[in-house]
Amino acid sequence: MDVADKLEILADAAKYDVACTSSGIDRDAQKGKMGNTLAAGICHSFSADGRCITLLKVLMTNVCVYDCAYCVNRASNEVPRTAFKPRELADLTMAFYRRNYTEGLFLSSGVLRSPDYTTELMIRTLSILRHEYGFRGYIHAKAVPGTSPELIGALGHLADRMSVNMELPSQESLRLLAPDKSKHDILAPMRQIKDNIAEDRDTRALMRRETTYMTQVRPKRKERAFVPAGQSTQMIVGATPESDFQILNLSAALYRTLALKRVFFSAYLPVNADARLPASDAVQLNREHRLYQADWLLRFYKFDVTEIIDEKHPFLDPDLDPKANWALNHLDFFPVEVNAAPFEDLVRVPGIGVRGAKLIVKARRTASLGEPELRKLGIAYKRARFFITCRGRWAGKGADFSREGLRAQLASPIEGGRHGRRADRVSPNQLSLFDAVETSEKTRIGRVDPPDRGLPEAPRAEGRTPSGALLQDAGRAGTPPRGEAFPQGAAGPAGALPQVPEAPWPLERKSA
Amino acid sequence: MTRQPGVGGGAGGGAGRHGDGRKDAAAPVWARAAAAGGVPEATGPRAATATGPVSPASAGGPHADVAYCFDGTLEGLLSAIFAAYERREDPADVACRANLQPRLGQRIVDIPTDPERALRVQRGICRTCGPASYDAVKCASLSDDPRAGTVAYRFVRHAMAAGKPRACASCKRRSACDGACTRPGRSPLSDVAHPAVEPLVRLSRAVYNERHRMMQFLRFEHLEGGVWFARCSPKANVVPLLMDWFCGRFNTQPFLIHDEAHHLAGVYGGGDWYLVKTDQLNLPGPAADEAAMQRAWKRFYRAVAVESRYNPELRRQFMPKRLWKNITEMQEDAPGKELAAARGPSGQWEHGTARGPSRQIPQAGRRGKAVDPESGDGAGLSTPPSGQTGG
Repeated sequence: MDVADKLEILADAAKYDVACTSSGIDRDAQKGKMGNTLAAGICHSFSADGRCITLLKVLMTNVCVYDCAYCVNRASNEVPRTAFKPRELADLTMAFYRRNYTEGLFLSSGVLRSPDYTTELMIRTLSILRHEYGFRGYIHAKAVPGTSPELIGALGHLADRMSVNMELPSQESLRLLAPDKSKHDILAPMRQIKDNIAEDRDTRALMRRETTYMTQVRPKRKERAFVPAGQSTQMIVGATPESDFQILNLSAALYRTLALKRVFFSAYLPVNADARLPASDAVQLNREHRLYQADWLLRFYKFDVTEIIDEKHPFLDPDLDPKANWALNHLDFFPVEVNAAPFEDLVRVPGIGVRGAKLIVKARRTASLGEPELRKLGIAYKRARFFITCRGRWAGKGADFSREGLRAQLASPIEGGRHGRRADRVSPNQLSLFDAVETSEKTRIGRVDPPDRGLPEAPRAEGRTPSGALLQDAGRAGTPPRGEAFPQGAAGPAGALPQVPEAPWPLERKSA
Repeated sequence: MTRQPGVGGGAGGGAGRHGDGRKDAAAPVWARAAAAGGVPEATGPRAATATGPVSPASAGGPHADVAYCFDGTLEGLLSAIFAAYERREDPADVACRANLQPRLGQRIVDIPTDPERALRVQRGICRTCGPASYDAVKCASLSDDPRAGTVAYRFVRHAMAAGKPRACASCKRRSACDGACTRPGRSPLSDVAHPAVEPLVRLSRAVYNERHRMMQFLRFEHLEGGVWFARCSPKANVVPLLMDWFCGRFNTQPFLIHDEAHHLAGVYGGGDWYLVKTDQLNLPGPAADEAAMQRAWKRFYRAVAVESRYNPELRRQFMPKRLWKNITEMQEDAPGKELAAARGPSGQWEHGTARGPSRQIPQAGRRGKAVDPESGDGAGLSTPPSGQTGG
């Protein structure tokens, strides 16, 4: 099998790992070595699903000894299995990097023989890149749960970012769907990475200071930092019945105790037939979107998780973003005077984001801001005007200042419904033109007909794949879909309505 | 109070001659009002003039009708700004010849480019307004927007009047700074809502956005002889801003970046980088591994998409279609690909095919949009006019 075939198979397998960014560290170029990084990250391409491609995201191998229910590469599936040789992968990474296709490498893996053996292969690849080729680009390494601490330490000195997948939001779900991985196997490497990062940072700070004692700490050769861009993790939402309340509290706890850079959420994509998995085919993209919005509130808008969600309403509102929801529940906080309020109050206004609030604070130093100035600043004035005053004047006419009136304004579809994914705009009672279309994923899985929920599950013909189809690495979040391109539910015989799923979250549909 | 230019013509020297730094008491009315005001009033006149840079032509003053024409380079722009102060005029427009749309009754003055004067202006701006302001003016000179020169000039007028020059005599870094002072301070750019500042901030953000897009979507090809070649057609002249980044990133390989829209090539051969203004490129053929790598990348790109999350609208939002023709993995789907097929693999028109419509090279001054001057509509790239694409 040549490298291009391996690449296609292993990239296809790695695609459900959503945790792919090249941000977090600024590294200058060095004469004689190739590469540099930008802290903001650079997205070099965008795939057909709109997600950014910034790194060469592949598995070392899609052989796996584990048998997680949601994963196509689980041991009980029959799919073409292959593995990169470390030198092949290093050469491929350099070749793509020199053409400016990627910022570096994202290396994950299925478990081949044992976690330690797999990690040693990854370490071999990364050390060829870093030491032989002098690569100064970005490397994100996914640690395999259950690896021994020495190998995690070695891997961390070669990578810029590391992550360990949490897979599922609770221990019961993990025991149900991924019995080969235990909570300890996942959390121990995460704690170790966090401790090593902190210790490395302290040691380097110490080395930089000119002290008369502890000069022996200064090494003769410059050593690489340990995971300089921090740690992240990922979990699947929608495969198990946890509420948004549980998921967000878990995220907040992870940020607090493990000092993560980011938690990624991946909407569950059904691929395997398994009694333990949800029967619904709906892909909860809207729910994933709301969870990311809530995550942003935690990280950038200085919200506390108790302000966003509570036990009485354990799910985020699907029609309204969490910040607007908070605003509607706390109307006594508004209106906010734009020329006087502190930054933390300005970012709570719907329509004013972090960038807009910073611009307001900057601009109001030299001039007081009225409506024309605000409109020029680049905030969503149409949305924000109900919640702010400019020099004491309130421009919120057009809606009554009550929860229902403002909710009608804030939850109204963007651009009258024209904005957004075309597939989501089909109304539920209308037959879509696309239901009858053969998508490549339908043919790949071998089920060209839309699934009929009344019948018992027929034995699935997995493994009947053309090259590069239907593969997924172990331990990745999300799975390939069960054959619908658009999350409309089964079309069934002509004229049948799409079915409503059992999950509390509705299907992806927006009333236009 | 309206923003009138100096009534009765040339009242006193400009607000601080460059290299002089003294605030003249006889500065023109607009400069005096701005300087004395401290925090400018935000009522009335501001709102009235909030639509754009103040044009004395609309105010109807006696010096309304002069336009300065420079050569399109940064030095030319700075020379034009110098000339405005030197001649004590307030031009309504400052533009290069291709972008200039003369108003009724307007006198056009051609400004010669003088690097020494440009350097004086640079030092003056850095000392009085800070290096960030100079950077913004530099961005304006790189922009394709036809009003960029006027916007930059208006900003410099406002910023020089509003700022106090730093006292270089007492600065301890004077010997190292060479006049282009880098100490941070209160910058006129922070007054983002001001009608003289806001268009420049918007312009400079657009230029930097285009530069970032080029950093994302430039694709290099490995050519025989070890040279790496990339092609682009950006909306602003960003190759000078890109060369530092790529020279650092690829410092072990020689490369060439060709900007088709601005007829400019950035060249790095191991030492310093330099720019060449050209359209004629003699390129060797692709290296042996190039085709295989491109194929591998395209296979990777197609493998990575998750079909059930298919969202081409989102992809188009992040990766505009106008850039697809230079992006390896999108070239088959690029708009206008039948025209691309008529070009040879090196990008040059094949012998025997009719020369493509001139809209392929966007006219300078049309905001980077390719408009065919012969055809009547300026609606952008629709079907090519009949009879112009050969078989």
